[in-house]
Amino acid sequence: MVISTLNETEAIAEWPFRTFDTGMILEIVYIIVVAYVLVKILSYLLRRIADKAGSYRITATMIIPLLKIVIYASALYFIIAAVLQPSLSQLVAFSGLFGAALGFGLKDVFADIIGGIVIAFERPYQIGDKISVQGTYGEVKDIGLRSTRIVTPDDSSVSIPNFSVFNEATASANAGKTEMMVVIDLFIDAHSDAGTAMAILRDAVVTSKYVYISPTRPYTILLADFPYYKRIRAKAYVNDLRSEFEFRSEVTRRAWIELQRQGIEPPRFPAHVTEAPAE
Amino acid sequence: MEDEPAGQEMEKEDFILFEKEITRIQDAIDAFPKGEFSHIALIGEPFAGQNTIMGEIREKNPGTVTYIPFFNVVKGKEAITSTYGTKDIVLMDRCHFLALRRIGGFAMLDAFLDMISMSDKKMFITSWNSFTWSYLRAVKDIDKFFPVVIEVPKMDSKALMSAVLSHYEGDIQFIDDVEPPGEQPVVTTKRVRLPLPFGYSRDIPWPRLNIGGGTSAKTTEEEPDAKKVAFDKITRIAEGNYGVALRIWERSLDYPELKLSRIPDPPCAVDLDINESFLLNIVLSMESISFTDLAEIASPEIDIEQTLYRLTRQGLIEEDKGYYRVNPETLNCVISHLRRIRMVW
Repeated sequence: MVISTLNETEAIAEWPFRTFDTGMILEIVYIIVVAYVLVKILSYLLRRIADKAGSYRITATMIIPLLKIVIYASALYFIIAAVLQPSLSQLVAFSGLFGAALGFGLKDVFADIIGGIVIAFERPYQIGDKISVQGTYGEVKDIGLRSTRIVTPDDSSVSIPNFSVFNEATASANAGKTEMMVVIDLFIDAHSDAGTAMAILRDAVVTSKYVYISPTRPYTILLADFPYYKRIRAKAYVNDLRSEFEFRSEVTRRAWIELQRQGIEPPRFPAHVTEAPAE
Repeated sequence: MEDEPAGQEMEKEDFILFEKEITRIQDAIDAFPKGEFSHIALIGEPFAGQNTIMGEIREKNPGTVTYIPFFNVVKGKEAITSTYGTKDIVLMDRCHFLALRRIGGFAMLDAFLDMISMSDKKMFITSWNSFTWSYLRAVKDIDKFFPVVIEVPKMDSKALMSAVLSHYEGDIQFIDDVEPPGEQPVVTTKRVRLPLPFGYSRDIPWPRLNIGGGTSAKTTEEEPDAKKVAFDKITRIAEGNYGVALRIWERSLDYPELKLSRIPDPPCAVDLDINESFLLNIVLSMESISFTDLAEIASPEIDIEQTLYRLTRQGLIEEDKGYYRVNPETLNCVISHLRRIRMVW
């Protein structure tokens, strides 16, 4: 008991925090600014390299989240070293206190950071991927420590907490590849020549300037019959996922010009079906 | 050849361009009367030398083969059905003109494939642009119709030297007038301007690897070395493509003198949008295509005149009597650009 009391007294005497002064605050600000600027510069450079890397674009950008973790973790270490003069026992004690603080007040932030680390290493998706998560579809623009930013097709920027990687299903349309499958549907009148329509859609797909075809990336043309119309569906890969919508639009536009030239019409309402009056 | 004394050349009359490929095709022709034959596809990049091989085969077998070359996109079946009354061995040159990359553009190719599928008594020896071949292989499984595929090979520096010099009777003087770089460290630094957030920028030191630095230093008196350096450089720029190398050679030569400094090595900087890249891809895949045929593919999506103007201005294509083709000196630059954006596979 006596020894224990003595150690506690010593521990209080060895207060681990340095005295806060202007110099220390400037040092912390300096570390944060340097880390921030370094992350921005390296991210910018890697994106520039990725843009020139063609089909390796996404491979180059996947380094960015790892880089952020390393830089921010280093910055945190330097800040702790600037504020504290810890001995081993003090560091353990501080870690306990820090953990308790996280548990009570910062657990969501901490969970997001852990989620960010998991995303960086496990790579369920990468910067440049097209993903669908929490009902939002878009291109991953940035994977930060706390959240992932995706841009939707209508150019809305959506931040998704990284923690969602643990409890939400994430669908990646391209899984780290530059190419991506695109499904294009055309609906034609039930009495039209489906064989000709399929041939036209096939030609429109394979002659597109956006298409990518290889033994592992084949194209398919499918027909489905519905009561009042037929659906011709093309499944093909776009050479760069950023051209997903242009590919779909170009194929549809060119196919319809030829379909109409060949006398193939879009579906019509059958005689006994009338449109509901507008209210 | 490795130990060839300085100044000693390969005997010019011994050299036969694409000898191995010509022998393979000739063997197939010789075996045809025995009933052992397969259709042959000869494929190569633009300017690589398919024409040379087809010409040689044609000359060697004047009474045995029928030669049908295409110069424009084939639009009528007559060109294909005309083979019915021909000799049993048919040489069809530039078959990439059988397909056009637009809706309905495969009709002639389908007719041709139908014909060769039904004909079990004729042998077809066909030549194709390698980019069209790769495209049609992916889209139409064309390789299944041609069991024998012969690729026009890339040439190395020595073969190129022999091929080029076989055209000249007299000696050519090679002059190394390029300043030797001297001894240089493996890593040097240069200053590059780094853009920073908020509109700022800074000059920072940037490492630059000097691989092989100093090794190309030569003296002007060492003619054999200058010759080797010249052909090494031409081969590197042409990436082994015979036609491109020949063009670079002709542009550099001031007969009977070739100065190393005259061999052009233009930087490869291509800045094109998707429509320009697509049209460039068509020109590359067709080797030489008329304005009318290009317009059929491009219209109405692409403004063809503006696009051709921009491609010509960048030195990527050249026009000759209404036909457009890739500028041979920029061929490899064009290929690497189109591969990078995955427009050629």
